[in-house]
Amino acid sequence: MGAYLLQRTLLMVPTFIGITLIGFLIMRLAPGDPAELRAAGGLGAAAGGGISVEKRGSVDEAMAQWRAQYGLDKPLHVQYLVWMKNLLTLNFGESFKDNQSVWGKIAERLPVTVKLNVWSILVVYMVAIPLGIYSATHPNSFADQVTTLTAFVLFAVPLVWAATMAIVFICGGDFYYLFPPGGLESLDFSDNWSIWKKITDHTWHLFLPVVLLSYDGFAGLSRYMRASMLEVLRQDYVQVARAKGLQEKLVIYKHVLRNSLIPQVTILASILPGLIGGSIIIETVFSIPGLGQLGFESVLARDYPTVMALFTVSAVLTLIGILISDILLSVVDPRIVFGRRLQ
Amino acid sequence: MLPLLLLLGCGDKTEVRVSDATPAADAKDAGAPVTGDWLVIHSLSDPEQLNPLTSNDASSSEVLGFVFESLLTREPRTLELKPLVATARPEISQDKLTYTFKIRKDVRFQDGRPLTGEDVLFSVKAIKCPFVNAPFLRVYFNSLIDAELIDPHTVRFVTKEPYFLNESVLGGILLMPRHYYDPENLLQRLTVRDLTRDPEKLPSEAKKFADEFNRNFNRNPLGSGPYKFGGWKTGREIELLRDLNYWGNGKESIDQPHLDRLKFRVVNNMDAALVRLKSGSLDFMEALQPVQVVRGTNSERFNREFKKYEYYAPTYTYIGWNNEHPIFRDKRVRQAMTYLTDRKQIVKSVLFGLGEVVDSHIYFFRPEYDKSLKSYPFDPQKALALLNEAGWRDSDGDGVLDKVIDGKKVPLRFEIKVNSGNAVRKSVALVLLDELKKHGIAASVRELDWTIFLNDVKNHQFDAVVLGWQMSTTEPDAYQVWHSSQAANKGSNAISYKNARVDEILEAYRREFDPQKRIQMYKEFQEIIHDEQPYTFLYVGKRVSAVHRRFQGVEVFPDGLRPIDWWVPVARQKYANTVTAQ
Repeated sequence: MGAYLLQRTLLMVPTFIGITLIGFLIMRLAPGDPAELRAAGGLGAAAGGGISVEKRGSVDEAMAQWRAQYGLDKPLHVQYLVWMKNLLTLNFGESFKDNQSVWGKIAERLPVTVKLNVWSILVVYMVAIPLGIYSATHPNSFADQVTTLTAFVLFAVPLVWAATMAIVFICGGDFYYLFPPGGLESLDFSDNWSIWKKITDHTWHLFLPVVLLSYDGFAGLSRYMRASMLEVLRQDYVQVARAKGLQEKLVIYKHVLRNSLIPQVTILASILPGLIGGSIIIETVFSIPGLGQLGFESVLARDYPTVMALFTVSAVLTLIGILISDILLSVVDPRIVFGRRLQ
Repeated sequence: MLPLLLLLGCGDKTEVRVSDATPAADAKDAGAPVTGDWLVIHSLSDPEQLNPLTSNDASSSEVLGFVFESLLTREPRTLELKPLVATARPEISQDKLTYTFKIRKDVRFQDGRPLTGEDVLFSVKAIKCPFVNAPFLRVYFNSLIDAELIDPHTVRFVTKEPYFLNESVLGGILLMPRHYYDPENLLQRLTVRDLTRDPEKLPSEAKKFADEFNRNFNRNPLGSGPYKFGGWKTGREIELLRDLNYWGNGKESIDQPHLDRLKFRVVNNMDAALVRLKSGSLDFMEALQPVQVVRGTNSERFNREFKKYEYYAPTYTYIGWNNEHPIFRDKRVRQAMTYLTDRKQIVKSVLFGLGEVVDSHIYFFRPEYDKSLKSYPFDPQKALALLNEAGWRDSDGDGVLDKVIDGKKVPLRFEIKVNSGNAVRKSVALVLLDELKKHGIAASVRELDWTIFLNDVKNHQFDAVVLGWQMSTTEPDAYQVWHSSQAANKGSNAISYKNARVDEILEAYRREFDPQKRIQMYKEFQEIIHDEQPYTFLYVGKRVSAVHRRFQGVEVFPDGLRPIDWWVPVARQKYANTVTAQ
């Protein structure tokens, strides 16, 4: 096992370099020029009206100065090597937007995104697994058909529509005021509040974003769970277990459930990067300053250092996630033995 | 002439009345302005940074305008220059190259230290320092070649060439406290002349100053303005606090702030922002979407709590024809395109009537605007006649007009580029497309990501584009857009418009210090442009703001609304007793 882990970890290095190189190239070869964008007065000029006449002018020299400041005037391969060199000291550079360290920007937004995602992943699994089990053990019953239909409907509802509807109808405005229309805490939130009050306030604010973030997740996952469970239920050894007189509960939870979890464990690999991935839509609609928003804005603004940092972090987390899920597989499925697979 | 202040009637789309619908309560409350209460302003996203030099986006300037001051400012009604930190407008030498400003002796920064000529000089040096990350600002100051202190309260600037806008450029420098932004006084030994020379030869102090300035002063502005920086929660809120010791308090002809706090609250989504306005967590939305103006803000409840202000936003939208394109080289084709563009219909259907068709690039409230221009009507017959005259016919019967250009048969087929994320511009192109189709003109629309779009425009890789320019509410200078020299090197004359007479006018105009003569020059200039139609000018849109009714003194100025004037009567103050220890 130890040797296997070492080998896997070492293999991750070239994979990682490959990933970052491809990411770097995709981003840099895509059209668009951050200097140009800044000269025009940022993205606001695109959404709003015009670029100001006075702000243009003989900006060529200015753009050259700006590029030189960030080393964008060097050949692409040199830029990549410089980036790699800085990475070794965990230095992701400074954002084009505000000259702040990219690490600082990510660290500032990380807690918000992680909080949101931990809750929504918990909700997804807590709803999806029992729902899937129930559907599989009562196939084609009325309840199964209802959950199937609901799952497909939820899966098909676009998130941006659902979120906007929620805001307009139940967040104040002209209709009901059940939840706050955004943010993560009340405007008058203060540290002097009692713990209980703080928790209630946070829950109240998190409720809608978490529900919205989760609904299509559990719709999908419960389908997977149902399918894999049904497949296991059809296996001969389940028949045998039943035939030898085991209680149905024992058959389901000890034999069937454990074996049908194998595909779910594979899905687990995507959870780790998902934790920081964030949802652009939810974060934007609810004005939650998280990493999803940061990533999206950075791509639009061609803020290369920030984009690369986010990309790198999620690449690392994906690699680690895959490693963990491989290890977990051996726990769930004793047939998988590392040493032998290596030979 | 000033923008009319118009209100929207309940559920009625047409504009009505100038000052009715104000409940009697409002009138009763009015009296002498008092201090207190907060104003919570909607902002769509965080500013990039709050540094007076390195920021380059509109939301930063909005916030910084409350924190920093400059030598001169503009009278809000007339937009004439008037002194602020200076005692008077500068003395300009005979040769129009030297500007001498005298500085008030009673101005203080928010940390209590006085503002002197040294701070003015420092602010200029910081702009001129080539390592400071402000290349786009520095462009304006290319003409400034020297600056010196005559005495502690007198500064003299020397410029390279006479240019009538220099006074406004120099008077607009945001003044920064030297002791705060350059605590080690690294720039002391260097003069503006030194800083203009080869960057390689500058002493290391300049580099050291710039590195620290670029990095350490982006989220903690300190100036001499009426509001001081209170805090910034990323992605959530920026807070400004009224400076109780503001030097201008009680002084004549200095804007008096009343509101205790200004909060710029970030709501990234317009639908959510409107909901938040209604639920009371925002007081002021500067730009409602046209659809929100028509729907969702006309209920009785909304009108009881909020008042809508409608005014022109000085930005015009146009279709730019690539003047070097074989099809559009011919003026008659460009004129035909304008005749084929139903601009009134575009304003009506795309902007919900919130706009005005324009025929010039000069803001229609400026004296330079040529009122005698005859608007091109929507007239397809005339357009076809013009195209015919220019030799465009459907010679092969394929339904598309064609013409032999340079020995090759060319169909009248082109592409209009628009940037994604701007639904209005796309709709404009689609309306035109529909019309063109009816007359045998095969056009198509392509939507591109903003950065890619900009790149294509600058490299002249387009047949036609839909774009906008901001219009100057103060003295315009259209050199950057229309002078033929600006067509090269990715300049702003992206459509390659070239006219020798226009070049002459533009050059002479910049050297002319007599406003009346400048107006005459621009009249001729606008007539030439009007005849040649290098652009099809479309419209100037209107902006509709919603402000909570408790605010008094809300007025529309040529440049929009001015929250600095607003105040709330004591009885209606929402956030009471908020002047906490500062």
